[in-house]
Amino acid sequence: MIELQGISRKFQVGNEAVHALRSVSLGVKPGGYLAVMGPSGSGKSTLLNIIGLLDRPDQGVYLLDEQNTTDLNDRQQAAVRRHKIGFVFQFFHLVPRLTAAENVELPLILAGFDADERKQRVQNALSALGIADRSRHRPDQLSGGQRQRVAIARATIMRPGIILADEPTGNLDRASGREVIDILENLNKQGMTLIMVTHDPELGRRASRRIQMIDGRIQSDKAQTHEDI
Amino acid sequence: MRTFDVVRFSFRSATGFRTRTLLILLAMAIGVGAVIMLTALGEGARLYVTREFTSLGTHLLIVLPGRSETTGGPPPLLGETPRDLTLDDALSLKHSSAIRRVAPIAIGSAPVSWQQRSREVTIMGSTAELFDIRQLSMAQGRFLPAGKPTLQTAVCVLGYKVKNELFGNASPLGKWLRIGGRRFRVIGVLTPKGQSLGTDMGDIAIIPVASAQALFNTSSLFRVIIQASGRDSVARAKKAVLDTIRDRHEGEDDVTVITQDALLSTFDRIFTALTLTVAGIAAISLAVAGILIMNVMMISVSQRTTEIGLMKAIGASGGQVLRLFLSESAVLSAIGALLGVMLALIGTWTSLRLYPDFPVTIPWWSLIAAIGVGMLTGLIFGVLPARRAAGLEPVEALSRR
Amino acid sequence: MGFKELLKLSLGAVFSYRMRSFLTALGITVGITAVVLLTSLGEGVHRFVLAEFTQFGTNLIGIAPGKSTTAGISGAIISNIRPMTLDDAEALKRIPAVIASVPVVQGNAPVKFGGRSRRTYIFGVGPEAPSVWQFKVAKGRFLPEDDPRSPRALAVLGSKVQDELFGSRTPLGQRVRIGGERYRVVGVMESKGQMLGFDLDDAVYIPATRALSLFNRESLMEIDLLYAAGASGEEVAKKARNLLISRHGSEDFTITTQEQMLEVLGSVLNILTLAVGAVGGISLLVGGVGILTIMIIAVNERTGEIGLLRAIGAGRRQILAMFIGEAVVLASVGGMAGLAIGTGGAWLLGVAVPALPTHTPWSYVVLAELLAAVIGLAAGVLPAVRAANLDPIEALRAE
Repeated sequence: MIELQGISRKFQVGNEAVHALRSVSLGVKPGGYLAVMGPSGSGKSTLLNIIGLLDRPDQGVYLLDEQNTTDLNDRQQAAVRRHKIGFVFQFFHLVPRLTAAENVELPLILAGFDADERKQRVQNALSALGIADRSRHRPDQLSGGQRQRVAIARATIMRPGIILADEPTGNLDRASGREVIDILENLNKQGMTLIMVTHDPELGRRASRRIQMIDGRIQSDKAQTHEDI
Repeated sequence: MRTFDVVRFSFRSATGFRTRTLLILLAMAIGVGAVIMLTALGEGARLYVTREFTSLGTHLLIVLPGRSETTGGPPPLLGETPRDLTLDDALSLKHSSAIRRVAPIAIGSAPVSWQQRSREVTIMGSTAELFDIRQLSMAQGRFLPAGKPTLQTAVCVLGYKVKNELFGNASPLGKWLRIGGRRFRVIGVLTPKGQSLGTDMGDIAIIPVASAQALFNTSSLFRVIIQASGRDSVARAKKAVLDTIRDRHEGEDDVTVITQDALLSTFDRIFTALTLTVAGIAAISLAVAGILIMNVMMISVSQRTTEIGLMKAIGASGGQVLRLFLSESAVLSAIGALLGVMLALIGTWTSLRLYPDFPVTIPWWSLIAAIGVGMLTGLIFGVLPARRAAGLEPVEALSRR
Repeated sequence: MGFKELLKLSLGAVFSYRMRSFLTALGITVGITAVVLLTSLGEGVHRFVLAEFTQFGTNLIGIAPGKSTTAGISGAIISNIRPMTLDDAEALKRIPAVIASVPVVQGNAPVKFGGRSRRTYIFGVGPEAPSVWQFKVAKGRFLPEDDPRSPRALAVLGSKVQDELFGSRTPLGQRVRIGGERYRVVGVMESKGQMLGFDLDDAVYIPATRALSLFNRESLMEIDLLYAAGASGEEVAKKARNLLISRHGSEDFTITTQEQMLEVLGSVLNILTLAVGAVGGISLLVGGVGILTIMIIAVNERTGEIGLLRAIGAGRRQILAMFIGEAVVLASVGGMAGLAIGTGGAWLLGVAVPALPTHTPWSYVVLAELLAAVIGLAAGVLPAVRAANLDPIEALRAE
């Protein structure tokens, strides 16, 4: 359960204060599928970063599973990210010197799992995404679609409740993009909350709920009826 | 491409990455600074010893009784011999034209007392000529009077420490004190000259040599100090001493003659060798700095792959690229070396401020050597990265992200 | 995240940039090699000098006339008013823990046999000299226990003097002339070699009383005491001091125990070793700057990676630990290579140039490796802090 109440965030750019978010309130139920849309500079990414605990709001309260996250320290926030949130990025962000399997393994290492269990879970995750045969390849030996699948495997390896995807198909061709969206929607059907930033209206229409952001505010918040939750 | 443009280009790329450039300069500066500083210390030590030696006087020869046949062994410093080196032996040396002054030395230790105060002091028996030979100077009164050295006179000259211990601030001139069982009149006090090579001229009492021999009941001398009449006559003086003593000792060669010059040049050699060794050890750090330059240049080549590809595309030859990167490492090491020189200058300046007696001096050869070796290191360690840059295929280099 | 995982991640980063890591570690390797090699040399010289000194035994006390001052040789050894006598030497023997006492007069005189002559050191000593100085008679015997006041004219030759004067003939029973008097040779000492440039074999030993009259002296130059192995040198020195003060009326002599001398010598040599090691350590410092540089570059290059690690739940401390770990791994690997080269080089040097004594104590090895790790740690802190403080959003955007 994500609950944002009156969140504001402003940045200092040169001498000018830029209000990325102006008193945004938003609630997302577990298992929801939310598309965040809007022109660049409208505050979508800032919103995602705050939900993902990468950024702190200047004002407002953010409750995650009824826990107030705004007064957690760095270590506690890191732990929340580790266990409850998975990130999928436009540019994949795989560590170039690690193999696919090792990239997927990273969150497990950070969480302190023992080696046997790590291996088991990584293999399962890679098989589930159809890239088990690629596990020993390094990112530069993989195609874009394969890279994003590795990234998704990494984002879900800790079985988080929430997946935050920032333009996950922005750097992929149509076919690969399709596959990635299918994977993400499948995860959503299994009960994971999916929040996706996109400026592709076609993609946005697939979500059960989509919000439109302009100038740091939520301009519209519409629920889709023809999709199951 | 003109040389100036090459240097300017490398300068610009060096200043592009500020932190790493500063750190490379720091590494180079530490190496060069350490080498120069250590040679300056070594040179200072050498000058210090040389100064100490020349403060003893110039063109000196020291005659010791006894002789060792093991070549290279130390002279018999404490040597007692069956046939004494006598006062007459010493005085007979004066006849040579190569010898200007002769000071016989008898030495021993005896309690010196005045009123209730007493102190065990080194007693040196000598003649008036010691004053000029050792370049002494008087704080009060005068030195031993010239006169027949074989005469026993009851006068003495005190070192300043002895004077302070026995008399405090009172003037000792004309006072009679007791050395051993005999009474001596104080006629002078030496100025503090500090300790010079083993004999503390402050903690000493000087009396006429004949009086000293009588005091210690001996007819032998500890050594004879001779001043040659000039730099050229030192060798002649040495021969004269050996000949004269051999004649007087029935053909027996039983003295050792050490010349100040020989001693000085020995010390000179030792100190120069030491300085070079220490500087050499410090120069290892230059190699380490060179490795760092090579490392960073390698990284820089791989980071600037596209840039290199572009330059080749617009017509730079492999040779030009090579020169560009070489000159970048040379510029880095040159600036680092200059910083090192500055560090060393600050170091020597501070040291001179703190210890003005110790003449820390940067020898000119070390400046040139350190800067030269520093720059050479930069060039040598720059070759590998520069060759790698020059060998890049332009198409491949451009296609890389 | 456990230690093993941390190590694995650090090692992984180190190995993926092979050339760079190799060069970085090489800097530390050169530094550690220099330090280990130089301290090995220093330690070798240290042991060599100590061995030179202890070859005379360790339970020794030397007493010289004159109160020593800071200024080198006291004039009192040459001449003095209150001589140190044979009776003093005899009296010192009565101190309970003292096993033997040797009066010493040293001089220089020609020794003649047949047509040959050689100027050598003459040592006037007592019959107990071999046990105190721990040297052995090769042929015949040492000076016998005569009446110390009127001993017979007997002499014992150093091995070199024997070779020079007698060649292959036996000198035992022959008469040599020393400074006008005739002495019968009763023994030849075993060769003991040089001691700090002083050739002990180029010497002749005669009774102390005879040496005093030969050199026309009243005072001994030194008395050497040997005390029982269990006794405290300080205790014996105190008793000797009290005894001589009561005999002379004042403290006009200087007592040096071998222990003191070895201690002073040891500390001087230690300082020397340390100084030489420190000069070598300058390279290590430069190597440390090298690690710092490379780590800063690494943090810059891997900004995206750091952002990602933060996004998937790495705390600041974990990032800090990773980069410090990487620096420490670099330094330690370099250090280990340096240790291997340094100790190997020291050993080779010792084998190739036997005159150059080298010794590498284990404590130095451990210390040098620790030093390398600490340098890595110190050099790693700044870049690691930089990495840990990166704003994850900025870092993610960097790619």
